[in-house]
Amino acid sequence: MPDNAIEVRDLSYAYGDIKAVDSVTFDVAPGEILGFLGPNGAGKSTTIKMLTGQLRPDSGTITVLGMSMPGQTLDIQARIGVCFEEKNLYENMSARENLDFFARLYGIKGLDADPLLRRVGLIDRADDRVANYSKGMRQRLMITRAMINEPEVMFLDEPTDGLDPVSSQAVRNVIKAEAERGVAVILTTHDMHEADQLSDRVAFINEGLIEALDTAENLKLEYGQRSVRIRSRDGGAVKERVIALDDPDSSDRIRAAVAVEGLMTIHTEEATLEDIFIKLTGRGLEA
Amino acid sequence: MTLPSPRPRVSRSTIVSAIVRKDFQAFYRDRFYLWVSVIGLVAYVAIFWLLPSTVDESITIGATGAGIEQLLEQAASAAGAESEGLNVVAFDSRENLITAVEEGDLDVALGLAFPDDFFAAVAAGQPTTVTVIATSGVPDELRTAMDSFVREVAFAIGGNPLPVDYQEEILGVDRLGDQVSLREKLRPMLAFLVLLIEMLSLAGIVAAEMQTRTVTAVITTPARVSDFLAAKIIFGTLLAFGQTVILLVAIRSLSNQPVLLLTTMLLGALMVTAFALIAGAFGRDFITVIFWSMLFMIPMLIPAFGLLFPGSASLWIRAIPSYGLVETITGTTAYGEGWAEALPNLGLVAAWTVVAYIVGLGILRRKVQTL
Repeated sequence: MPDNAIEVRDLSYAYGDIKAVDSVTFDVAPGEILGFLGPNGAGKSTTIKMLTGQLRPDSGTITVLGMSMPGQTLDIQARIGVCFEEKNLYENMSARENLDFFARLYGIKGLDADPLLRRVGLIDRADDRVANYSKGMRQRLMITRAMINEPEVMFLDEPTDGLDPVSSQAVRNVIKAEAERGVAVILTTHDMHEADQLSDRVAFINEGLIEALDTAENLKLEYGQRSVRIRSRDGGAVKERVIALDDPDSSDRIRAAVAVEGLMTIHTEEATLEDIFIKLTGRGLEA
Repeated sequence: MTLPSPRPRVSRSTIVSAIVRKDFQAFYRDRFYLWVSVIGLVAYVAIFWLLPSTVDESITIGATGAGIEQLLEQAASAAGAESEGLNVVAFDSRENLITAVEEGDLDVALGLAFPDDFFAAVAAGQPTTVTVIATSGVPDELRTAMDSFVREVAFAIGGNPLPVDYQEEILGVDRLGDQVSLREKLRPMLAFLVLLIEMLSLAGIVAAEMQTRTVTAVITTPARVSDFLAAKIIFGTLLAFGQTVILLVAIRSLSNQPVLLLTTMLLGALMVTAFALIAGAFGRDFITVIFWSMLFMIPMLIPAFGLLFPGSASLWIRAIPSYGLVETITGTTAYGEGWAEALPNLGLVAAWTVVAYIVGLGILRRKVQTL
């Protein structure tokens, strides 16, 4: 039995002459959330398309739950759940009807959708047509749809994009709960805050290449800089000092800075994932 | 870690039937396509039963002139067989004749105004003039026929019948005496219109699946692209065939050769479904779906329109995919033809259907895979 739920080796794909994914290699363990962080066009969605059987790789190997893609695509698809960035739901059907239809594609007849719908707070609107749903409700239904077959691997593409804080938190809670159940999750996002909150490890992908892959903490330690920002009043003016914590004399400098009269604020600061992404790739996540 | 054992595979039939069921659900939820289908069906049935079921092959002409009754008797005798189906009504004045022709009184199609000295002039071999009075809507052929008729009458009255006899040799099927009523002529067109309306519905549903990318969600489950395509073929064919059967029953078309007619309509439903797949694959929104559907619908209606006008269909009309369908429906319902006459036409439709599927499935598969 393999230790990893997903094993990807030297995966490549090109659209004509444009290399969308270039020799990508990574693993995801059961119960782990891997955040795929990168700007639009970085190769995140193409990678997911290959992992979910929508695209055939030009080269490289994909193993999901010990089965290889594309040879065992149908067996793999029976055990994965996918949440797309587009809200691709049947608008003229209710939430319950949507879930029932997709359940049938997995061979599940007479799906009891109520527990799932209750979990995402849609039980009261279960019989309303999706056309009448808000964006947040649709996204919660998308997540629910990805869970109807009790998947062992989930692929979530921008699951909280554009959602209000309440809906975002509801979606994040579901993702965390699924990971705790042992589901391996690949989360693609360009929201560094979400990746930081949810992911056990983060992969920075840029121009088809994985630039870095580690826990957010390790990435910050390796590539970021921790500091303390101290503001104090100096006569009529406000004085601000930033002291790097990794400097050898940082303790003495902080002690001296806080000893002055007119001390206003002290803040510890650490690099964000976006800072590190920019440092590594030279471009921002929103690009 | 422990990973669960592989799950049992879902049968293709389970997947395909789930998609077909969902498509019917989507169809009945879409008010536009539902209303177009229902209203269309009701309207076509109503139109059919309102149309005349008989053919009036006689022509009524009006005539005026001195001694017109005697003239008409002689004319009928002189014209012999040619006067069959020709009703002549005498008018006492030229003015009354003109009014009758203008207003269509007594179904007078056109009028002949003979001069008062017609008998004397013709008998003496003197030139004389007969006026044909017709509205602008009277076909040229009828006016020319009246000219010939008058000449022939004149020769007969003058004692000089034309020294020419003639016989007809009809190539192909002689439909003389088998005139088809307008109701019969419209029967294949109505059946074909129902097929085409359902083609529009399917194209719309396919285009919506592409645009909203619901198809992507479907093919990342154990459903294959081929399951999706198979479901669309089954749904489209059932939808179009079912509506056509309702129409055929409502217009009582299944009394002669019901199996042949149902086979023809099933083939027709299969064919329009293939064209719907092409239109759906290219359609980006409602307008483009209508555009692509019309691109196929209008040419395919031409053979049905052709039936409204006498004469053989041109070679290019015979090359239109729907020609074989229309011919079979007409031959079976109007002329009582059977399998022997229908098979060549059905073969043509089957060949077109295969071509349409090769193209339609190819385009749609590629479209689905590149979304």
